[in-house]
Amino acid sequence: MAALGRLLRTGLTGSLCCGNLVRQASVPFIHHATRLESTETSNKPTVRKPSPVVKSNLMEFGQYIGDCLPKYVQKAQVTHGNELEVMIHPDGIIPVITFLRNHTHAQFLNLTDIAGVDIPTRKYRFEIVYNFLSIAYNARIRVKTYTDELTPIQSIEPIFKGANWYEREVWDMFGVFFANHPDLRRILTDYGFEGHPFRKDFPLTGYVEVRYDDEVKRVVVEPLELAQEFRKFDYSTPWESFPNYREVSEEQVALPQGEAEEKK
Amino acid sequence: MASKIVRTGVHQVKPILSLDRTDARRRVLNLYKAWFRQVPHIVFNFDVPITVNQGRQKIREQFLKNRHVTDIRTIDMLVIKGQMELVETVKLWKQKSHIMRYFKETHNPRPSDFLSKFYDGYM
Amino acid sequence: MATLLRLWPLKRGLGCPGFIGTLASRAQSTAPEKIEIFVNDKPVKVDPRSTVLQACAEGGVQIPRFCFHERLSIAGNCRMCLVQVEGSPKPVASCAMPVMKGMKIKTDSPDTRKAREGVMEFLLVNHPLDCPICDQGGECDLQDQSMNYGSDRSRFTDMEFAGKRAVEDKNIGPLVKTIMTRCIHCTRCIRFASEVAGVEDLGTTGRGNDMVVGTYVEKLFKSELSGNVIDLCPVGALTSKPYAFTARPWETRKIESVDVMDALGSNIVVSTRGGEVMRVLPRIHEDINEEWISDKTRFAYDGLKRQRLVTPMAKNAQGQLVSTEWEEAFFRIVEKTVSLSGDQIAAIAGGHCDAEALVALKDILNKLGSEALCTEEVFPMDAAGTDLRSNYLMNGRIVGVEEADKLLLIGTNPRYEAPVFNAKIRKSWIHNDLDVAVIGQQPDLTYECEHLGESPKLIQDLVDGKHPYSKVLAGAKKPMIIVGSAMFQRADGAAVHRAVSSLAQTVRAKSGCGEDWRVLNVLHRVASQVAALDLGYKAGVEVIRNNPPKVLFLLGADDNTITRDDLPKDSFIVYIGSHGDNGASMADVVLPGAAYTEKNSTYVNTEGRAQQTRLAVTPPGMAREDWKIIRALSEILGVTLPYDDLNEVRERLEEVSPNLTRYGDVEEANYFKQSEELAKGIKQQLSDQPLTPPQLALKDFYMTDADITSITDNVALRESCHGVGQQ
Repeated sequence: MAALGRLLRTGLTGSLCCGNLVRQASVPFIHHATRLESTETSNKPTVRKPSPVVKSNLMEFGQYIGDCLPKYVQKAQVTHGNELEVMIHPDGIIPVITFLRNHTHAQFLNLTDIAGVDIPTRKYRFEIVYNFLSIAYNARIRVKTYTDELTPIQSIEPIFKGANWYEREVWDMFGVFFANHPDLRRILTDYGFEGHPFRKDFPLTGYVEVRYDDEVKRVVVEPLELAQEFRKFDYSTPWESFPNYREVSEEQVALPQGEAEEKK
Repeated sequence: MASKIVRTGVHQVKPILSLDRTDARRRVLNLYKAWFRQVPHIVFNFDVPITVNQGRQKIREQFLKNRHVTDIRTIDMLVIKGQMELVETVKLWKQKSHIMRYFKETHNPRPSDFLSKFYDGYM
Repeated sequence: MATLLRLWPLKRGLGCPGFIGTLASRAQSTAPEKIEIFVNDKPVKVDPRSTVLQACAEGGVQIPRFCFHERLSIAGNCRMCLVQVEGSPKPVASCAMPVMKGMKIKTDSPDTRKAREGVMEFLLVNHPLDCPICDQGGECDLQDQSMNYGSDRSRFTDMEFAGKRAVEDKNIGPLVKTIMTRCIHCTRCIRFASEVAGVEDLGTTGRGNDMVVGTYVEKLFKSELSGNVIDLCPVGALTSKPYAFTARPWETRKIESVDVMDALGSNIVVSTRGGEVMRVLPRIHEDINEEWISDKTRFAYDGLKRQRLVTPMAKNAQGQLVSTEWEEAFFRIVEKTVSLSGDQIAAIAGGHCDAEALVALKDILNKLGSEALCTEEVFPMDAAGTDLRSNYLMNGRIVGVEEADKLLLIGTNPRYEAPVFNAKIRKSWIHNDLDVAVIGQQPDLTYECEHLGESPKLIQDLVDGKHPYSKVLAGAKKPMIIVGSAMFQRADGAAVHRAVSSLAQTVRAKSGCGEDWRVLNVLHRVASQVAALDLGYKAGVEVIRNNPPKVLFLLGADDNTITRDDLPKDSFIVYIGSHGDNGASMADVVLPGAAYTEKNSTYVNTEGRAQQTRLAVTPPGMAREDWKIIRALSEILGVTLPYDDLNEVRERLEEVSPNLTRYGDVEEANYFKQSEELAKGIKQQLSDQPLTPPQLALKDFYMTDADITSITDNVALRESCHGVGQQ
């Protein structure tokens, strides 16, 4: 496999069809570093211009991952111009991440972080996001999968030791259980803390407040009372001179969404 | 993998630990026993102003709080959390105030009649 | 004094055909056919009288502007609203340009953007970069628009270190702070002063780079509406002095509420931060206050922090009021009350009470067997009296004045009794040629009016057709008669009311304005009066004076209508209210209540519109909402009132008077004929004393409502009052 990859390293850009074997698509994802400026003129100098070359390379690589692991990869997409995202089935965490770590043309050896996202309206409300960095190719990739409150997710601690604390953090903040984790326990919240603070149904104020009680000479926890006003900022102008304009301006600022590359 | 999948009604889910109710029940009882046995040590180690009986009563109360739970995976999740609590307690990661938190001795329930609320200023 | 440049002659003065569309009055003739124009190639059908700016708004495109304001005349001098019109060689100021058929407007073309950027650059060249210390920061039009339309590069270089253009600040009084260097010469304040407020105090001097907005000589901006220029100013040139450097708009919480300083019920926004009211701003309500509020409304919040009652108090053995607990205070009341029969208990409601407290007080007294519930304000109770709502409401509504063609003011000075309403009369006077006549001492109303005389007998003459003005009234299409509630405080109040209501009937019959048009209007001066009368309170304290009670409840009554001298020696006074004033000082027990920003409560304005104030901050110290105090007291007295929360009180309100909970609506009242019939029974004669409204000068305006504004402590208003007094 590695030899095959090396053979193809010369940078094929087209996609070659090769029966039921792993498709030997181009993997020239290294060329990423060559920053090709787009021709379109933008008058906002602070916004980085998306490069169509980078984008097409990433999309090809996404396609390649999808072709290699058709059972697990549900979708690959490029967002914000140059960020590759791979959506996978939760069963495929171990194989996909092993693939990304070990494949010669990926070499995502660095786990940047693991994050959780709570979208309560979905059937599987939690999205687990893994960010990887490939130092060899100066490239990043984002792997996303999903789960709910009760479905365990396979821990990637056996693959990446660094995942240990990240997974503890996700467990602590969202209550997503990681199976096969060697030391799954709280990491940020206090002992005895109930609930998972990053869940959307967890109130901003929490349920309890903590204070030192002089009578019992110890810190006590009591149901929330909020004697002090909760601080809140309102960023909209009280006059809102041009509400219509405001919307337009947001649209302009928003970066073009990468089209989803359909796969399985 | 497929053999591990439990069928609850038509909905197919992945188990956390237990495959059926007896399994889950066994885990709960094991956890309860573990806590129960630890109570004298907890009372001694943390030097909390409660008796062993009170401590066991509290543990019973905490377990009974979840007696309505029937979903196996939820039971498992509660067992996992209870297990973590136990480890935190036994390894003395917790402090005295964390143990006393279960007893809520400073927590006064709010009055509900108009006049007491009026005097207290909870309106 | 050199004449200040008057840039925008009023329509009234010159009889010119009116400003394009924007200020068109409500009573418009039939709308002409719509014409089609193109906004960014999108076809839009618009009124041919509208401006390009309005047409674009209709097409969903907002155009930036500084000088243009919907409620003021068009100046067209900021040039921020430039747009490109196909066929026109230069960009066009859209706020001043009328639409033409088939016009093709480009609001986002490169030329338009370039023009705006240029204008913005010029404005910023002469504008200081002091946003971090500017009170307008965060709600500044210039700030917002420079973010949207400005360039991200500056070409301003100060090679010779000459500095930016700087202008001396003006002292125009204790309410409005001026930092004139920030002024961008939009002239909104000048137009507001001359058009809406009706004072010619502001103007410009100099031209070009030397143009300066100001008063030319140092003097006060002497208007009861002066605070509105703070909101109008698109930059930080005119800001609020009391609010200066106290809060930022993004850190305040805004609560939509209603004002209680006068009987109009102006809609306001209360900005709070950390449990403190930081400022009060107007909220748009087209039928009441448009977007203006009076200075008292705007600046009275100072008084919410001073002279407050924060704990219950009771008199000790030495006869001094000392702080105590709620239980103790209630116990003292029960001690005195328990052995008394109902007729020995009475209550007086003041001018700022909410309907919830009023109904609770009425219920508790009724349960104790007393019917002696009075308001401080007098209203004739003879004949139909307060039984018919039409007798005591402003039946023609506040907006009615915009349709009226003849207005007769009797014994009222709306300028200070209801400043925002006066602005509305002035608006109608300018745009609708409203004729105003006055009976009673003539104040300066900021518009021309015919002074008929001061004697109340004139009203009778008008009814009988002896006075020449009765012909004018008879010829009116939509006449309105407004009588000030101050006139009912007179000894011959009932006679005045009878005369006015029969005049209204006569005028209505003669003018042929139809059954739907309401002629008779009563302009109240206090916010609680209509709700109190709706709930069946007796107007005036005559009952109490005739039958002095042993125990007297004062619900925010501070006007000294009943003093210790009117009561037997051993009588016991309970004061429930928010501020320590006359009422509290003569009380035996003081129960601290909530001010209007501290409770969810109902107020009914002079036209009978029920509105809610909202809880913006919690009452200070041990103070509680008024109706809750009464509810708690009722439990101690053993006559527990059957409501525990706000909804239940409101249900009770609805039982007593359903209109009190129909928020936002004006309940119609229509028994003028019956009322007049009944009024014929009144035998009282009109006296010869001139009809004198109680507030004639600006100084009087700032001095009223002493209990809430706590005038002795309210720094800004006090200074204002002194300043006005000196000039």
